[in-house]
Amino acid sequence: MTDCWRLLQHFDAEPGFNMAVDEQLLLGGSSMPTLRFYTWKPDALSLGYFQRWVDVPAAEEASIVVRRLTGGGAIHHARELTFSLTAPLDHPLYRGPVRESYERVHRAIAMVLADYGARASLRGEQVVTSDVPETGMCFHKSTDLDLIWDAGKGLGSAQRRTAGRVLHHGSLKLGTTELETGIASLESHAPELEPEELARALQAAFPELLGMKLERGELAPSELDRAQSRSNHFRSSTFLHRR
Amino acid sequence: MRPDDRKYTKSHEWVKIDGATALIGITDFAVNELCSGNEGDLVYCDLPEPGRDLEISETFGEIESVKSVSDLDSPLAGSVVETNALIEEHLEILCKDPWDKGWLIRIKYTSKDMDDLMDASEYEEMISQEQH
Repeated sequence: MTDCWRLLQHFDAEPGFNMAVDEQLLLGGSSMPTLRFYTWKPDALSLGYFQRWVDVPAAEEASIVVRRLTGGGAIHHARELTFSLTAPLDHPLYRGPVRESYERVHRAIAMVLADYGARASLRGEQVVTSDVPETGMCFHKSTDLDLIWDAGKGLGSAQRRTAGRVLHHGSLKLGTTELETGIASLESHAPELEPEELARALQAAFPELLGMKLERGELAPSELDRAQSRSNHFRSSTFLHRR
Repeated sequence: MRPDDRKYTKSHEWVKIDGATALIGITDFAVNELCSGNEGDLVYCDLPEPGRDLEISETFGEIESVKSVSDLDSPLAGSVVETNALIEEHLEILCKDPWDKGWLIRIKYTSKDMDDLMDASEYEEMISQEQH
């Protein structure tokens, strides 16, 4: 399968804007699959869609908190490359059980990480040392589908499926922070690696690994307008404390 | 063969008329897409409060599996009169019996026009195409 995906990049973007852009890619009306790489400035913590604030102690320590549309645990978006894949639910990459779509994407990422010396694989039944109870953090709770290396979880991921489309979030760790201790990262393998360089490596490899043709693009003016007007929503007290 | 006493949506909900009310749930296909047979993969289900009015295709709830959040959309317009209290604590019911014990909400429908919905054979035809 070879199909055309729009490639977007938003490095050092504001946290609420990052979430609002992904919302537009999911619900904004575009039918084109989109791969988006981004980083956060300033650093922020994102809650999973269903998480309760009180179940994430780190939310009290983070300077900025947003809530994602995707499920799962909280993520401290610092020293990482974040990506989103947005596509119709009947797209070959996402058609079928949720598990299979993760396996396809995670195996492709593992191939890229191998170039940096990280021996990444699906956790399966392997034992990891990064699981920590009661933190509410995504990287402290692994599943068999998660990508691990060095006995720790190094890729956090979650999906939202709505209105016939899927939004797939991923966070690849380049280093650790005080809010996500004990997890896997690329720091010991590629200490100088910058998010932009990792994004270039992924976008160079994905066409062959995932059968996609990437075309660099921009948000449509209507998508950008709506994302800017929705940015505050993802940081609002109403949305943050919805549960 | 899926039950032929109800209708089905493209987004994998079912609706079964029961007198002046209708029961709504999700199909075995939807459950399997979410959890691939692993009961523990279903972690949370958010259902509406009784009294909420729903339009056709309006999202009435959300279900979270270990790796995905999915919407639940109403096949009929009406007012929610009851939710299945068992579901929120025992999501595994959806894996075991999505057709009867696994109903999600009961609504008092404003119209039972279901011309846009599929019967069991049409639904099975649709999912057979999705799998190819």
